[in-house]
This record gives sequence, C-alpha cells and structure tokens, in this order.
Amino acid sequence: MSSKWLDIDYYRELLDTLTRNKSRTVLTGFGVFWGIFMLLALSGGSTGLKEILSRNFEGFATNAALFIPGQTSKPYAGFQKGRTWTMDTDDIEAIKTQVPGLASISPICLTWQTKVVRGDKSYSSASVKGLTYEYYQIETPKIKYGRGLNAFDEYNSSKVCVIGKRVYENLFPEGGDPCGQRIEVDGVSYLVIGMDINAGDMSIGASADQTVSIPLSLFRALYGRGKRVDLLGITAKKGVMVKDIQTKTRHVLARRHNIDPEDELGVMSVNTEAIFRMVDNLMRAVDILILLVGLGTILAGAIGVSNIMMVTVKERTTEIGIRRAIGATPRMILGQIIGESILLTTGAGLLGVVFSVLVLSGAELAATKDGVLTAHFQIGFWPAVAAVAGLAALGVLAGLAPALRAMKIRPVDAMRDE
Amino acid sequence: MALIELKDVNKTYFGAQPLHVLKGINLNIEKGEFVSIMGASGSGKSTLLNILGILDSYDTGEYRIDGKLIKNLSEKTGADYRNRMIGFIFQSYNLIGFKTAVENVELPLFYQGIGRHKRRELAMEYLERMGLTDWASHFPNEMSGGQKQRVAIARALVTHPDIILADEPTGALDSRTSVEIMDLLGKLNREEKMTIIVVTHESGVANAADKIIHIKDGVIGSIEENSRHDASRFGDGSTIK
Repeated sequence: MSSKWLDIDYYRELLDTLTRNKSRTVLTGFGVFWGIFMLLALSGGSTGLKEILSRNFEGFATNAALFIPGQTSKPYAGFQKGRTWTMDTDDIEAIKTQVPGLASISPICLTWQTKVVRGDKSYSSASVKGLTYEYYQIETPKIKYGRGLNAFDEYNSSKVCVIGKRVYENLFPEGGDPCGQRIEVDGVSYLVIGMDINAGDMSIGASADQTVSIPLSLFRALYGRGKRVDLLGITAKKGVMVKDIQTKTRHVLARRHNIDPEDELGVMSVNTEAIFRMVDNLMRAVDILILLVGLGTILAGAIGVSNIMMVTVKERTTEIGIRRAIGATPRMILGQIIGESILLTTGAGLLGVVFSVLVLSGAELAATKDGVLTAHFQIGFWPAVAAVAGLAALGVLAGLAPALRAMKIRPVDAMRDE
Repeated sequence: MALIELKDVNKTYFGAQPLHVLKGINLNIEKGEFVSIMGASGSGKSTLLNILGILDSYDTGEYRIDGKLIKNLSEKTGADYRNRMIGFIFQSYNLIGFKTAVENVELPLFYQGIGRHKRRELAMEYLERMGLTDWASHFPNEMSGGQKQRVAIARALVTHPDIILADEPTGALDSRTSVEIMDLLGKLNREEKMTIIVVTHESGVANAADKIIHIKDGVIGSIEENSRHDASRFGDGSTIK
C-alpha cells in the first residue's frame, strides 16, 4: 500500500480516468473551482476596498472632535429655537481653561468656491482655509514640495500659502516644484511655499486637494472676520476619551452662548474616534461575511463533488465490477475513487486560485494611477497555499462516501449490469 | 489430481423465498480440458460459473483449484486469485470504454503491480496474437463485436491464468464471428493446453468443447464426451430452450 503512493502508474491511472471523462470531470470540478475563486476574489477585493476606504481617512487624526455653530433646535434660557450664533476667539480661551485633557485646539476660518489665478490659468472651486500650524495635528498634510505653515507665518501674517493637489494640477499643468511661484486669490498675491498631495476625502470644510491654506491671522485681516471662528477642532491627550472632552467642550460652548447643553443641532460636533470605530466594525463585519460566503461556497462545491461522484460511482458500476473481476482489491478501488476526488478538488481549486489571482491582478491594474498602486487587491502566497491544502483535505472527505459505496460493488455486478 | 475439484457444492440464495440453486455439485476438470457447461436459464449454470470464477461464495462443500481450497476467502485474496488464476471472457465483452484496446489488456497487469513498459510489451504481444496490433490504440466503441471479444480474450490471457472462464462468449456475436471466436478458443486449448470452461445455452457453442456438462435444476444431469465438433454447428434448432 505504501509503495502505491510513490507509483507513477497510480497517478497515471487517475489522470487517465479524469481526462478521458472530460465533461464529467469539468462538471464535478466546477463547484470547487467557483468556490475557491469566490473566496479568494472576495477576500482580495475586500482587502483592496479596505485600503481604498482607509485612504479616505488618511492623515486624519483619530482622536479629534470638530465643532460647528448650527441653528438651535431647542428653546433655552428665554431664547426661542431657530437662533443662529457664531464662535469667537474668546471661546477658545474659555475651553482651554475649562476642559482638562485637551491636547490641542485649533480654530479655522474658510471660504467656499473661491477663484484662484496664476497668469492665464485659474481654478474656481478652491477653498481658502485660514489655519494655524496646530491644525496639522488634526489633519496632517502630505507635503510633496516645500513646507507647511508654521508659527512664523502666523506671527508675521505672511502672504504665503500651501496648495492642494487639485489646485496644483490646475494652476501648474506643466508640473514641477511650485514653490517660489505666485498665485492670486481675491486680488491678493501669495507666495506658494508648499504643496500638499493628501487626497483624503475626509477633511474639514472643503477637501484637502481643493484647499489653499494661508495663516489664520492673515485670513482674519484680509477677510475681516474679527474674532469670529468658523470651525473649531480639538484633539484629546493620550488616554483621554474624545467623547469626554467633546461633551465638556460642548457644555462650555453652550453655556457661553445660552444654548441647551443637550442641543446637538445647536452645537454641531463630529467625533472622529467614533467614526473610525464604526468603520473598523464595518470592516470586521464585511470580513466575517466574506469568510462565511466563501467557505459556504467551497463547502457547497465539495458536497457537489461528493454528490456527483456518488452518481458517478453508480454509473461506473460495470467499470468497477470489471476492475474487481480482473483483480482489483476493494482497497485499490477505494484508493482510486479517493485519489480521483483529491486530484479533482485540488486541480479545480488550483485553477480557481490561478483565475482569482488573474482577476485580482486586473483589479490592481485598474487601481494603478500614474504608475502608483493605489490599493493592493492581491492575495498572499500562504493564504493561497492554505486554501489548496484545505481543498485536498476536503477532497478526501468528499470522496469518502462515494469510495465506500464503490468498495461495496461486487464483481458479479459487472455481469449483471449490461 | 484434477485442476478443478468441486465436492458436493451447495448454494442457496436467501431472499423472501429461499432458493436452493446448486444442489450438491460434484465435478472434476483436468488441466488442459475444454469443457462447456450447458443449461437453460435458471438451471444454476450462472451461479456455478460465479463460484468457479471466485466471484461468489458457496454454502457447503469444497471447491479447489490446483489443490488450493477456495472458501471464505478475504476480498483481497479473492481478488489476487482471480487476477492470477482466472481469465474472464464475458458475453458483453466488459471492456472499459474510456481505455484503448491495449490499455484494457494491460489492466490486469496493472493490478499485479507490473511496471508500465513491461505491461505495454506483454499487452502488445497478446494483441498481436489476436491479430489486433493495428487496433491497439483504438477505443472499444471503434471496434466490431468480434474485435472487442478478441481484446477481451487477450486481456484474459495476459496474466497466464490457469483457467479461462467464458460466459456466453458468443452471445452478442453473429454466427460467423461466433465460429471464429470458438475456433480461437479451441486453438488455445489445443496448442497451449489452456484449460477452458465455456458456459452457454447454445448447443452450437457447446459443441466446440471436448466435454459437455449438462446442468439442470441445480444438479449435473449428464456429462457427454464430444469428439465430433462439427456434429452440430450454429443454426436452426440448435438452441436448448
């Protein structure tokens, strides 16, 4: 018996039987092929999608909260609902002293749909953001050329700016380093000091790639905002829950502006920690779903193999009877049916692996932009090996029931069945 | 000592109605004999053939091949004995459809664990003796009935068995081919001293043998020596009903 597994003739016999009954083999193997393809393609696809999704949050702090003044939805302290209000720099000082656990606080002012001009080129859907370098703790820029804003720019109200990717592409279609060039916004000329290639879709106000960032002090002076603040971002110290400082900050703002502390529309706020956790949970759920669907499909495929082999064994009664009559022992028949089953599942499974690798390569090709791979869809080598090993084991199980039935076929059956 | 010895062999099928099929068969067949077993359907000749071919078991009595007692064998030993001692020829040829002629002939050698090259060599040799060299790589469905039966004979011979057991070997053939096949078996018996047992209900087939054993209702009715093989060939009125 042991020598049989080394005998090339044994495998030749298996291969002959499978290749000369092509339609049967193809039909039987398809279930397994499809199962493994689904599992690998889905898991590869989810990895890539996860990467794409997480890129949306790229450069964004996971421990931040944002505050936006809204319209009150509850009457409070004698005021009717529906009142609007604005934040100012005094609020910042109050929050700094009254909210412990705060790591940073950064006010932001911004404009929408602003036209940016450089020579004969222009871009009209830019957003000018006045911010301080502290804001970089919440949204970290990916500086490709030059530098970001710093404390000197803020102190001197320098007429400098950092431009986003889309702004750069429109104003500098020739490419190259934009630093040292000048652009014009609302009649004011700015020196470009940096370029941010962050393309994250999650950002405050306009998307980072449509932004022209300038020092906050300059923004205030140019756009006449006085003490007014459009948005407020805070980050929590390590070990402090964002939810806690978010609530405390809300209470401070509410008290100062006579708003119900529970009025979530009056003081609108977003907690990035909560968003990240939600997305995380979503991803995990998707993973589990894919695993269940994939394993289910493979299992269905294996049961299909078992089923078809069961029918096949019945159909092959004569053949097996002949083999028995001319000297095959029941064990040889068992070995043959199980061997066929393993070969079939593994072969079909390998084809599934190859096919899914091809499809995922195609997906990666589609996801490649400017020669840079934006998302990795491909499955790893070892998961693929594990999948094939699992299939071989499944092949044994699938072949077991049909093989046991085949063993019971007596040589006399060959002559009865005509 | 006879090659085949049957002593008071009994066989009963236990179903809803127990059926006593073989009622004490006593039979000796010497080495090199060409014997036919004749009987109507239901006479027990198929059961006797199955027992002779170690395809079925019997209840009481003794069956010996070359002195070896064939009783209560394990499946493995049974398969081994069938492989080495008996060559089968069936009415419906029983070739494996997806294997070529030469591969079909090789199959018993495969189960003996003989290497591929040796197998091919031996199989080709026997196909040549059957005049089928050109048909070696053809599939059974590309061959005529006579050719298929000759492939089956090559397969039966390739292991050098002690006995050739033929079950209605001409049942699916026209009369001209039937004569050819029976002549072939006769030649094997005369020239190579092969022991051949043919089970049939056709007297024309039985006539080719040297000895005709008539079986009726589970017992051996008569044993007739048959030296005049051409006494009755295939034709009208030659079938025992």
